[in-house]
Amino acid sequence: MLHEALRFYPGGDRAIEVELGDGMDFTINFIVHRLVAAVREAKIAGLVDLIPELASFQVNYDPDCISYEDLCHEIEALYAEMGRGVKGSLASRLITIPVLYFDEKTEACVEAYRKDYPEKTPDPELICELNGLPDRAALRRRHASTEYWVAALGFWPGLCSLLALNPNARIIAPKYNPPRTHTPKGAVGLGGALTCIYPDATPGGYQLIGHTPAPTYDGSQRLPDFTDSLALFRAGDRVRFKPVDLEEYSDIEARVAEGTFRHDIVDYQIFSVDRYLDWATAQEEASK
Amino acid sequence: MSRTITTVKPGLQTCVQELPGREGFLEQGFPLSGPFDAWSFRQANILVGNDRDTAALECQFMGPTLTFDADMLIAITGGDMSPALDGAPFPMYTTVAVSAGQMLTMGFAKTGARAYLAVSGGIATEPVLGSRAVFHQAGVGGHALVAGQTLPVGGSEASALHVLPEDARPVLATDRVWEVEALCGPNDDWLDEATIEMFFSTDWKIQSKSSRTGIRLTGPDFGFSDKALNKSPDHGQDPSNIIDHGYPMGAVNLAGQTPIILVNDAPSTGGFINPFTIASAALWKLAQAKPHETLRFRRVNRDGAAALRAEIDAKTKPEILENA
Repeated sequence: MLHEALRFYPGGDRAIEVELGDGMDFTINFIVHRLVAAVREAKIAGLVDLIPELASFQVNYDPDCISYEDLCHEIEALYAEMGRGVKGSLASRLITIPVLYFDEKTEACVEAYRKDYPEKTPDPELICELNGLPDRAALRRRHASTEYWVAALGFWPGLCSLLALNPNARIIAPKYNPPRTHTPKGAVGLGGALTCIYPDATPGGYQLIGHTPAPTYDGSQRLPDFTDSLALFRAGDRVRFKPVDLEEYSDIEARVAEGTFRHDIVDYQIFSVDRYLDWATAQEEASK
Repeated sequence: MSRTITTVKPGLQTCVQELPGREGFLEQGFPLSGPFDAWSFRQANILVGNDRDTAALECQFMGPTLTFDADMLIAITGGDMSPALDGAPFPMYTTVAVSAGQMLTMGFAKTGARAYLAVSGGIATEPVLGSRAVFHQAGVGGHALVAGQTLPVGGSEASALHVLPEDARPVLATDRVWEVEALCGPNDDWLDEATIEMFFSTDWKIQSKSSRTGIRLTGPDFGFSDKALNKSPDHGQDPSNIIDHGYPMGAVNLAGQTPIILVNDAPSTGGFINPFTIASAALWKLAQAKPHETLRFRRVNRDGAAALRAEIDAKTKPEILENA
């Protein structure tokens, strides 16, 4: 749900959390990105950094340049000017990520955790149980059946938060409690209503269902897709997961190792928000 | 003769840092990084004639052993790691002219936890995403120093020798108790009233698993408000879960029942609430507090935080320097 008005929460003397709504959905997130773009374009003196997230964004500012109150007023004015309508079109890249579902690396990671916490149901079985899916094959089909929206990046360089664009493909998953101390680089995880791809070996809390050999972060900018940026994704990109078998997985792994791997990135499409929302509503109705 | 510094022993985790840090990339998940104790960092720089935000070395818990491959000015501030040149101890907060071939040794921190070494001309490593600040864990801007590594140093005409007046230096707690100024918010309304009082009246112990990512605290349990207990399922099951949001620098992040103060190398976003935030001008205290020491939080508002900023700002300007 979108709030009636923006809610401002001070984060110390140099940051403000601006909350637009209370939910993980495309519409709220899309408005977050529109407002963040408007704030960025306004070039407000003293504004230092912006972090768009799912239903809110953070503004870092220099309080010796602009006051908390003045900055809140400026953002409110921009929101009033922008309107709360969700329409228009934007350039949105479509990136296809190859995934070996239920692979050895993530299975080993889950088993290592279960040595310490034996009561933990293995991740794919837990997700199947909570989402009424009969088996792993059905989970793989559901997960790979939709495009995803890159709603936000954060927590770690290049880590993405992906929202399923097809409402019928929504999968929910609880987060690990306590979190894992280690996750393999390239693991594909589910948490809340989100999918993420671990860009590096890091701690983590999402349930793991597969692994991609295709890097989403390249700190040394070795691969050709990373010459302009260390991270693959930008907010507003779309992602599709393509199930691969071990043979294709190994082939991609080898091409990454020799430095010739190229991501499958479609860069000529325009994403129509109006048409998407109509389509999503129709999808939901059809499944009732 | 090249203007470089050579690492003989790297110390525990010695990193190049620079201000203001890696601004503009938080939205891609890159932390700000930069010096943990910006007060001491800036004082080291002004002592060697640099702009106060110039790249310098941050030494954690145990300092490095380095040789200087050219003549330059150096200054060391922050925690006392018993610096010595060719075996002869020398005072901190004082400009020292070193000659090519001299060796600097530093030991364990006797006071504080982090020392800053500035050199005239600054450390001239290649900036990554606009900054020389190192995010060691992900190798952004480089890693912590390793034995044998050389660091390039920028050119400088500086030759003046200065001392930083005693009353302008940060006072490092000697009784192992730190009073740290903090503000309520952004998510204090997720806690019950009694817990907010409890936070500001508790002696919090710093856990040993603390670093530039976060300072973990041990103390009483937190109680939650209705907002945390009766919320949309999108936020997650635990009372401390919230829909992923931005994490301010210095936020007191509550993961389950463990408060973790998020500092320079912390995640930029995540799914836990931040009920309190440390005043920006008090963050340096967290850099100098050691594991097992005690933090007591003193509640300030934005005006109080501004007064602290102004005080430290005045103490990190070259006008305050005295001639050696």
